[in-house]
Amino acid sequence: MSDRSEKAGYLAGLDADAIEWISQTYRANGHSLTVQLPHLNSEQIADLASHVARQSKKQLKSLPLDQIVDAIDRTIARLLDRNDPNRRKMEELLPVVTGYAPEMVALGLTGYLKTFRKPQLKRFLAEDFANPSILDGFQPLIKGGFGRAFGPDLSAHIWAGNVPGLPLWSLISSLLVKSGTIGKVSTAEPLFAGWFAQLLAEVEPALTDCLAVIWWQGGDIERETALVKQADLVLGYGNNESLQSIRQRIPVSKRFLAYGHKVSFSMVGTQALSANKARSTARLAAYDIVRYDQQGCYSPQMMFVEQGGSVSPERFAQYLAHDLSVFEAKYPRRALDIEEAGRLANWRSNEELTPSGKIFGEAAGLWTVSFQQADQGFLPSSLNRTIRVIGVNSLQDVPNIVAPFKSLLQTVGIAASPERLFDLAGPLGAAGVTRICGLGDMSSPEAGWHHDGRFNLLDLVTITEIDARAESAADRLASYVD
Amino acid sequence: MDFSSKIVLVTGASRGIGAAIAKAFAAENADVIINYLQNEAAADETVACCKASGADAISIQADVTDRAAVDCMIEQIMDEFGRIDVLINNAFRPYSFDPEARKMHWQLDWSDYQNQIDGAVKATHGLAQAVLPSMLSRANGSIVNIATNLISRPAVPYHDYTTAKAALVGFSKNLAMELGPLGVRVNCVAPGLVSPTNASRNTKEEVKEAIIAQTPLGRIATPEDVTGPVLFLASDWSRFMTGQTLYVDGGMVMP
Repeated sequence: MSDRSEKAGYLAGLDADAIEWISQTYRANGHSLTVQLPHLNSEQIADLASHVARQSKKQLKSLPLDQIVDAIDRTIARLLDRNDPNRRKMEELLPVVTGYAPEMVALGLTGYLKTFRKPQLKRFLAEDFANPSILDGFQPLIKGGFGRAFGPDLSAHIWAGNVPGLPLWSLISSLLVKSGTIGKVSTAEPLFAGWFAQLLAEVEPALTDCLAVIWWQGGDIERETALVKQADLVLGYGNNESLQSIRQRIPVSKRFLAYGHKVSFSMVGTQALSANKARSTARLAAYDIVRYDQQGCYSPQMMFVEQGGSVSPERFAQYLAHDLSVFEAKYPRRALDIEEAGRLANWRSNEELTPSGKIFGEAAGLWTVSFQQADQGFLPSSLNRTIRVIGVNSLQDVPNIVAPFKSLLQTVGIAASPERLFDLAGPLGAAGVTRICGLGDMSSPEAGWHHDGRFNLLDLVTITEIDARAESAADRLASYVD
Repeated sequence: MDFSSKIVLVTGASRGIGAAIAKAFAAENADVIINYLQNEAAADETVACCKASGADAISIQADVTDRAAVDCMIEQIMDEFGRIDVLINNAFRPYSFDPEARKMHWQLDWSDYQNQIDGAVKATHGLAQAVLPSMLSRANGSIVNIATNLISRPAVPYHDYTTAKAALVGFSKNLAMELGPLGVRVNCVAPGLVSPTNASRNTKEEVKEAIIAQTPLGRIATPEDVTGPVLFLASDWSRFMTGQTLYVDGGMVMP
């Protein structure tokens, strides 16, 4: 596979020869790949944006929702087929681009793509719309009158990160509300979104000009402004500084949905720390950590482990350490760049300095477990398979420990009895947590989940209402009025 | 096999099989701690021999059936070397392998059994607990316990000794179950009659000849024959093996 080359992006009918392509070489797992990144200038971005908006008005807005769902479902079915050439290309090239272990990418893709099949998409729609037909036409409202939901003519998506396929959430959400869509991919994983768009257009030619996927180097204000200016709605992902910078350039009349950095963690109760359960608990916890090397917002960065089980929090940390070393054999960690390696070393030496702390794992190793007592509390990890295990007297103490970090919190993985799950859910929700799941599921949100506690689809639309009295007012003007 | 930067503790290593194991580790660049009970001069000799191969080696006197003495020894090792990667439980209560002078079942007291069980199982239990924190800090470690092929075929029924070694193998399998999920492996090596050693001094030539006659490889084991399988089980080459017993007796026993 060495010296392969691949074009990123999807240009919705724009002449590929008219634009500049930037070459970027990726190396991992003994292979190299040169990706051509579509680098449109500001004018081309503006032209593309108005083309997509125009075509979406013509094509996408008039497509029945069922037909859009069907097109996505058929596209996903192709990508779930491990013999499909598109799927094979993904399995082959995404590990080279991202550095993730090929087996992790292959398994991750299937688990992830499954959440976008037709039944899951319908659940996704039903989650936000009592009657999803409201996206097709005016539907009676409970208060009286009629309503119809309209997606924006053009939504701009500024994606970040290197977890393969992550842009799919917002891309599909946007299509479901019949919005023309332009996405900007990150340099860390520039391929998946473009491939999906291309295949979707092949499956449903009516969508050919309704979406586009482009690229620019992160922080390119000129190009960012060109796209943002054209869009009716902007969705941004990434760190708070880059989101803040985007926000400054969006007029108040336009909506901006920002998905900033989040911190997730897990909690293990004494019920999951018995002699026969501790092992499987640790394995699930390790899986959450290993999956995409904690690069997702839902990946755990620390674990709170309760005292009083047969297995102590410190012993649990040791089980976790072994499971991380076992996973290393199956899903090797991606190679870190110098900056990441430096951050990790700093994190490790800081953890070593805490008075009650113990470190498990070799200094030059591929994972690190830091065990700390409760007074050390909340501290994000340096990712890439580093985790702080914190011994607590009771899981009931955890909501108070995390509450000061409300705006950062997202997912919590819990291993505890059903009563405790619900007892803890209230205080955790009040502390700012927006998703609670079991251990092992943290990095695979279910279909229809509410990202950062928000409505994925409802947040994108505006509702046009026909006032209840408009009907009777119109009645008076009917040709058949008596 | 390279044990560079690995710290290996061998109990009962002043003489015989233990000394041979210590020297073999040193020859593969391990730093070796030679534990002994009484024979300081022999221990010093083994240390010198290990150092001659370029390794770091020290000897520590400790009765491995005395938990306080064990803890003291481990503390000393941790102070000096900072870690323990491999533990070889080789020490056992003095026993004379004399087929003619052996006690028969009706001559044995329970205290004879207890004495051997303490020497084999109690010592291993205490040492395993004591080295565990160091091994768990890296989720990695190997413990090798020396048993005997008599547990499978008591050619001469040394009741107390063999019962204790059989218990040691059972102990090791349980420990392997418990520590596997924490990254520590536990295995046994079961040699046949090894000569020359102090313990086998009283074994008569005719017994040796009888053993040889039933051994496919046609001789009695030397202490050096035992070292290869021990080093293998201590090394990464056996990283997916735990709870196993390797018989080192020229094929006399094929379990």
